[in-house]
Amino acid sequence: MGPFIKSENSTNKMMSRVIIALFPIIIFSFYKNGILCYDGNNIYTLFKPLIIIGFSTLCTFLFETIYLYLTKDKKLIDLIRDNYSYMPGLFLGLILPINTPLPIIMVGAFISVFIGKVLFGGFGENIFNPALIGRLFIITMYALTISDFGGYLNTSELDSIASATPLSNASLVEGIGTYEELVQPYGSLKYFALGFIPGCLGETSKVLIILAFIYLTLTKTIKWRIPVFYVSTVFLSTLGIGLINGVGLWYPLFQVLSGGLLFGAVFMATDPVTSPVTKKGQIIYGLCLGILTVTLRYLTSYPEAVLTSILTMNMLVYLIDDMVIEREYKKRKIILPIILLILSLIGITYYIGNKFTKASIDTNYEIVSKEEKGSTTTYVVTQVGYSSKLKLEIVIKDDKVVSIEYLEANDSFFNKIIDNKYNETLINNQDDLKNCDTVSGATISSTAVKKAIINTLKDHRGEK
Amino acid sequence: MSGMRLPKHKKMSMHKLNTYLKPKKVYIPNVSIKNTKFSINDKVLMGDVLGLDSRGNKIHSSVSGVVVDFIKVNDIPYIVIKNDLKEKNNFKENDYSSMTKEEFVNTLKENSIVGMGGAGFPTYIKYQAEEINTLIINSVECEPFITSDYSLFMKYTKEVLDTVSDIMRINNIKDSIVAVKENNTSLIKRINSYISKYENIKLYLVKDKYPAGWERRLIKEVKGVTYDRLPIEKKIVVNNVSTIYQIGLSLKQSIPLIERVVTFTGDGIKRPCNVEVKVGTKVSDVLETLGVYKDTIIIENGPMMGKRSNEDLIVTPTLNCVLVLKEKEHERLNVCLRCGKCAEVCPAGLCPVMIKDNIMDIEELKKLYPEKCVECGLCSYVCPSKINVREYIREAKEKVK
Repeated sequence: MGPFIKSENSTNKMMSRVIIALFPIIIFSFYKNGILCYDGNNIYTLFKPLIIIGFSTLCTFLFETIYLYLTKDKKLIDLIRDNYSYMPGLFLGLILPINTPLPIIMVGAFISVFIGKVLFGGFGENIFNPALIGRLFIITMYALTISDFGGYLNTSELDSIASATPLSNASLVEGIGTYEELVQPYGSLKYFALGFIPGCLGETSKVLIILAFIYLTLTKTIKWRIPVFYVSTVFLSTLGIGLINGVGLWYPLFQVLSGGLLFGAVFMATDPVTSPVTKKGQIIYGLCLGILTVTLRYLTSYPEAVLTSILTMNMLVYLIDDMVIEREYKKRKIILPIILLILSLIGITYYIGNKFTKASIDTNYEIVSKEEKGSTTTYVVTQVGYSSKLKLEIVIKDDKVVSIEYLEANDSFFNKIIDNKYNETLINNQDDLKNCDTVSGATISSTAVKKAIINTLKDHRGEK
Repeated sequence: MSGMRLPKHKKMSMHKLNTYLKPKKVYIPNVSIKNTKFSINDKVLMGDVLGLDSRGNKIHSSVSGVVVDFIKVNDIPYIVIKNDLKEKNNFKENDYSSMTKEEFVNTLKENSIVGMGGAGFPTYIKYQAEEINTLIINSVECEPFITSDYSLFMKYTKEVLDTVSDIMRINNIKDSIVAVKENNTSLIKRINSYISKYENIKLYLVKDKYPAGWERRLIKEVKGVTYDRLPIEKKIVVNNVSTIYQIGLSLKQSIPLIERVVTFTGDGIKRPCNVEVKVGTKVSDVLETLGVYKDTIIIENGPMMGKRSNEDLIVTPTLNCVLVLKEKEHERLNVCLRCGKCAEVCPAGLCPVMIKDNIMDIEELKKLYPEKCVECGLCSYVCPSKINVREYIREAKEKVK
């Protein structure tokens, strides 16, 4: 029974190629988060990225292998060779922040294995990307804990000016933002491409991810249509949004090179088990992922747009493949759904683009109470900060801010703002608040305080 | 275009053409005491009609000699004829300069010309059509290892092209296209040195992607047309080049299809080559002269579409290759990765992985068109988990019938 020749390719070889593609990314994360942060004393700091990635890989490997050994009637060596249990852990480690404590990684790995894989039937049967399930659990349950430990920033980044990830920084900017507000805090777009920006261990170096993509596509290892259509959709949409608001090419480049988009598109969305098998299905999948990511990034203030998009589309993979088959069967063209998707993309781009130009009211700001007594007005306002809502009492006398008091300020690292006597700085610089420096180590919180003052002044002066 | 480049393995046999035309005995299949007028000890001439097969096509003797036995192997009856090595026959030179279309069809029928590319479709049926505009000569030979058409075309280039010319004249065909793979440089060179003398016969180079020789795909690439069930809907006839050569022999001297070129190759043969053999020759006799290593398997026809055979294999008009391969370790079977490579390479545009998923659900299977599968084997070839995907599609084909 033939065929009597078989291709050289095998599942083992494909997995090996993925690991080879990840290798430069792992080395880079070791360099950026380990070597650059090494202060000469704590050897743990030096090897921390490798420890995190290694520990995560080991955890999923052990959890799944032990489970299979106890429940399946196969030889241990066969279970190890056939299930690739180390893969979810390897990816999970690469999509975690540097400051994730090891016990939390272990819990995440456990969830990855048991909810991401075992629950659905093991290797080849899972619907959701296991690494993303693990990350989703970690971020949902332990985001505050991790941010207490430092969040996404490694020790060398904590001391520098830019101390928030580019996307959280972007969410605080008014309007669409300028190059100075969005990119310059991190240097230039070059830094985004090379990877010297805050972010998860494997997600930052876009150049290495693109090289990995080229390698994996030339060796026919991944479903290349998915990242091509995903990233192009996001690029074109953000290009449209930018053009509507008069910003140049740097804007879509900034959007594409920020966050987990490239890593997610190349490594997570292309996971063979959880993505469509048909060629046209993969194109539709990429398009939908792009539309979802753009929608989530702009129309919601929630983080993790890429993760949410991929996990949502994971649910719809069977539907997409079925639709492609049905349309071929009924001899209807597949171009129709694709045109619908492109039209909705254009629609969303247009809507988002115009939303920026219209909205100049800061939705993160709220006036709780306003008391006028002669020429003195006392405002109690709230402004969304880094990890909490800040409540401030601002007193304006004779059209000038005279006092700022913090009623509720539960942001982590807010003590820096108090220690630096930031309220005095703001009062002294109130005529040029936009260019007033923020407190390093608490950029987002200090920006929030700044904005509260700006918004309050606007309201007081009757400006819109 | 879908499909895939496969490793060729053709150099080992390409340039060698030998003959093994004096078998001691021949075993002609589908002839038993019930359907033949010959009995044991009767004398037979080369070309004599021994009987009719189940579809009414004539079965000829490939040698002259004496009937010595009637046997049955694997449920197939064979007549055994001892070769007197004299090749006595009743062949005569024909004058076919004014042959009519009806006479042409009859000649093909009387001489049992069938498709020699592997399918064995009776050729005369193709020429019964009212109008034929294009004749495509299929010399693509896309399966790895096989070089039988190549060596025949290299040796008999002028004869084949002459026959094409005759066929065109008799059947009023406007133009012909010889299809060859674009990397087959020696054959292209040879054809080019002759083809300019023939009006209306052109050479077309097809891309080196298996299964480039598949009729439906070949017509799409060469003429850019698709058809529903048979090429004749678009007034096209496709013939394998060896079949064309045999048509020529039947036109010139009424010689029936009793001889062909078979490629004997594989890493299990000591001296791989092409061999001109008589129909009915026992393959194991030829293998003995060529030398075979131990621990090998014998495959009938090519590595992709052929099937496992054994020493009882007999040369038939549709046997184009005997592939002898050293036994290899079984590759590790794994779970389906849903990588989609099978769907990507399928030349018929099917989605084998979904057929495999829905193998129990006949309603879903119907939507996946398993009947369009040509069993080229690429899905099984390319699967990284080494799943024999083609078997699922064969099963699906049965279920949707």
